[in-house]
Amino acid sequence: MKPERMDDLDSVLLREAEIIPSSGFAKSVMAAVRSEAAAPPPIPFPWKRALPGLAALAVAIVWSLIEVFRSPVRESASGVPLTHWLDGVVPLIDKAQMFGAGWVLFGLLLTFAGLKLTWHLAGGRL
Amino acid sequence: MDARDDQDDVEKVLAGDISAFEQIVNRWQAPLINLAYRFCRDRSRAEDMAQEAFLRVYRGLKGWRRDSAFSTWIFAIAMNFYRSELRRLPERARLSQSLEVLENIAAQSTDSTNADRDRAVRRAVSALPAKYKEALVLFYFHEMDVSAAAKSLGLPEGTVKARLSRGRKILREKLPQFLGEFRLEEAQ
Repeated sequence: MKPERMDDLDSVLLREAEIIPSSGFAKSVMAAVRSEAAAPPPIPFPWKRALPGLAALAVAIVWSLIEVFRSPVRESASGVPLTHWLDGVVPLIDKAQMFGAGWVLFGLLLTFAGLKLTWHLAGGRL
Repeated sequence: MDARDDQDDVEKVLAGDISAFEQIVNRWQAPLINLAYRFCRDRSRAEDMAQEAFLRVYRGLKGWRRDSAFSTWIFAIAMNFYRSELRRLPERARLSQSLEVLENIAAQSTDSTNADRDRAVRRAVSALPAKYKEALVLFYFHEMDVSAAAKSLGLPEGTVKARLSRGRKILREKLPQFLGEFRLEEAQ
């Protein structure tokens, strides 16, 4: 699908000098390819080791949700039922604070920010 | 270039004969280096970019579906890498490629030779926003074939046409005296 009419811009941009690859280019590429082929395959994610932890996490999440929704419905002074899922969440947060969850969260956020900054400074290259 | 040769060499590589990949490199090194050069205008960097593109081609050989031409597939892989690589230009270089540069180019191009002016237009193309630059570079690289440019960019033809039109309009707006002067000389 080429246009039939050429204009001045086309004339300039079609006239490009051809770059001849340097003599060792193909050899250099093949060396990199051979090195890639000889490298051991990437280490697979250790699903077997991670599965018990992931299963425990899933159970904990499901249990927490069940506990939240099973908590009794309370009524406000006006007799209107409170949104009881919130009532269930508050004690969980209190318990989490006893174990220093706030500091853990702060530490995680700090690590994430540090990683993002490093990634940005490295220009997205690891 | 014979498409059958590419397919045969790909089969050999997939069967474990890595040396067959050298034939693919020999056939495609010039196009991939020249395409990279048109974006970065630095020979050494163009070869580095082409080498990485070949590595990606090697890694992705299993993924080449035979229903598309090998040339289409290899250019799409190379362009995908070149685009991400060019986005990571150092900040200083990226700043120098702003549209403001076009004004300086226009001022410099009034009393220069054809070669200088060709260089000025290419610098102006380099200073365009990435999406217009990519469309223009691919369009002329594929000798004004919109369909091939669209395939290499992985975009619909209509999108590429719109970007070409907008890119060319920006160039004409920024270099009116240059392109007008050139047009007169061409007509003589």
